[in-house]
Amino acid sequence: MSEKTFYQEFEVFSKRTHAASFQHQFDLLAPNEDMALMMAQENFMRREPVVDIWVVNKKNIHGMDEEERLSLKRLDNKEYRTTKGYGYLRKKWRKYEQEMLDEKEILSWAGGKEK
Amino acid sequence: MSNIERMMSAEEKKALEALIFQLADDDFLFSYRGSEWLGLAPHIEEDVASSSITQDSMGHAAMYYKLLEDLGLGKADDLAHLRPAQERKNSVLTERVNGDGYYMDTPQYDWAYTVVRSYFYTQAKRAKINSLRESSYEPLRDIAVKVSMELYYHVMHWKLWFEQLLSSTEEAKSKMVSALKLVVDDMGDLFSYGEQKELIERFDLIDSEEKIQNNWLEALRPTFEKLKLDLPIIPEPKLNGRNGQHTDELQTAIDTLSEVYRLDTATNW
Amino acid sequence: MVTMRAMTADEKMEYFMERIESGDKIQADDWMPEEYRQTLIKLISMHGISEIMGALPEKEWVPKAPSLYRKLGIMAKVQDEMGHGQLLLRVAEDLMKPYGKTRGDIMQDLFNEDLKFHNVFHMETKTWADAGLIGWLVDGAAIITQTNMLDASYGPYAKALQRICAEEVFHAQHGESIIMALAEGTKEQQAMVQDALNRWWPALLMFFGPPSKATTGASKQEATIKYRIRKNTNEELRQSFLDKYIPRILSLSLTIPDDTLHFDQEKKHWVYQQPDWTEFKNIIKNNGPKSQARLNLRRSSYENNAWVREALSAVVE
Repeated sequence: MSEKTFYQEFEVFSKRTHAASFQHQFDLLAPNEDMALMMAQENFMRREPVVDIWVVNKKNIHGMDEEERLSLKRLDNKEYRTTKGYGYLRKKWRKYEQEMLDEKEILSWAGGKEK
Repeated sequence: MSNIERMMSAEEKKALEALIFQLADDDFLFSYRGSEWLGLAPHIEEDVASSSITQDSMGHAAMYYKLLEDLGLGKADDLAHLRPAQERKNSVLTERVNGDGYYMDTPQYDWAYTVVRSYFYTQAKRAKINSLRESSYEPLRDIAVKVSMELYYHVMHWKLWFEQLLSSTEEAKSKMVSALKLVVDDMGDLFSYGEQKELIERFDLIDSEEKIQNNWLEALRPTFEKLKLDLPIIPEPKLNGRNGQHTDELQTAIDTLSEVYRLDTATNW
Repeated sequence: MVTMRAMTADEKMEYFMERIESGDKIQADDWMPEEYRQTLIKLISMHGISEIMGALPEKEWVPKAPSLYRKLGIMAKVQDEMGHGQLLLRVAEDLMKPYGKTRGDIMQDLFNEDLKFHNVFHMETKTWADAGLIGWLVDGAAIITQTNMLDASYGPYAKALQRICAEEVFHAQHGESIIMALAEGTKEQQAMVQDALNRWWPALLMFFGPPSKATTGASKQEATIKYRIRKNTNEELRQSFLDKYIPRILSLSLTIPDDTLHFDQEKKHWVYQQPDWTEFKNIIKNNGPKSQARLNLRRSSYENNAWVREALSAVVE
């Protein structure tokens, strides 16, 4: 029946604030992307702030099957990639009477230099 | 606000009340007809989306009725539920049924009619709201700012439906063309201020009927050109809702919407 | 390494059961036993279509709601019911994909009476108090069954239920607010609530389904518990409804229409007059007071609007 193409699946993403990332909300059926976009907010974000919306036709998403998802697993032995593998530096710096520049300290620099 | 009220002449107050009743009753009836569709729209996702517009519109009506209450004209709920048809100031277009049949039975509502009516109505509402943002009456300006925020979505939504249905199958186009005719036939009083026209315009409560109607037509023009349609020609009103002239369809609506409220108007529901 | 594709049926089943028993969430395109898929489809399509049919008894009161605030509240509530139907049908539709079925087929199943809807939505609404009672007690009962499945092994269902349960809290309070106003109102308003409770009580008990297969000859509770879709049995859920709501009903000076109702201190459960389970079977076979009228309304509005869906299928972007 001709109604078949009416029921296309769209994934809906939205942002709560301009600083936030897009988050997947849910999916809906719509005949085309303009209609999908028009219905998205009222279907899934009636009670929350939203500043932007994406709709994506599911046929344009290339994802993984159950088998492929098995390829995502990793051993928990990658300290060398993270600060966890360099924690001993704190003690070392103390010996030189210096504070370690850890993540908390470095990210606090976002405030800029005091004038 | 109180300053303005104190300075207001009896004439100006009369004009102001007439205008607010028109705005309130329009949104109230428009929302009422929308609420009859709830659960019956052509698509579940659309049911949810259009219900938000219906709710917003009822919310706008509630703001106007509250303003009338503040002006000392009675309780907002009484104004919405108890006034007889001949005291209602809504346009005939907003009181029309959605199609054949009563909502409690098995109605055969017409989606094409709803799309055309809603698109024309919300676009006209936007023309009025834009003008009300400059109204001489501050509380109306405040409401206009709030309403215009939600109107973006309403207009965008109904315009999309209007454009898509008119760009689709022959069957849909012919239903839309019939709906256009029905809607335009009833538009005679949509831009009218009724008997209070002269005062409403003189006190700068809102732009003239002609200017609002013209702004409305200009807003429709790009869409109509895109769809290769002639812009509608608004007829003279057969009935003028602004003067309390209405069809029987309004009476049936009032009977339904006040059925429970009338059981006891003094109690809390 | 044994890959999924190379696993035997038994190995797949074992792997699947391990996953759900460890609390893992199954996704729509994961391998799942046919019985699991069938159980989910039956459960979720019935749940979804019940929301869509459940909008009908309440929508009768939307235009009639007795104040601007009540009109707004009940519109939002019925809109949510449609929205819940949307969420649940999307979940069911994804599960039906391997059979090539879409929403259109679900609607046809409903119209052909192959897909049934919940017993409470076959009942008549007579007064405004019914609108309040549905929100308060029917949604109250729904909260009990739905929260019981929040941790369901099927991920998309659990996700939909998260959204639904959050909104149900508003529904229950919307219903409570209507009931409270009536219970604190005039004698006529109080009588209206009592009358609604009298009429709805058996349907509320039936809401949770028969205590066991022996009662009505069919019950899907065993499979749903085995597959970790829900935690408790029908009777356990009914008991927890009674625990929570009986004291609240009585506190509003309402009478529960059951002389035998009492709490058995020894066995720690409520003893109540069993509803007529033959009648229950009858109702869910679409022979309830409003079954055919509501089906008819749903069918006729769906068919009456078919041209819209056909038209938009033709819109080229």
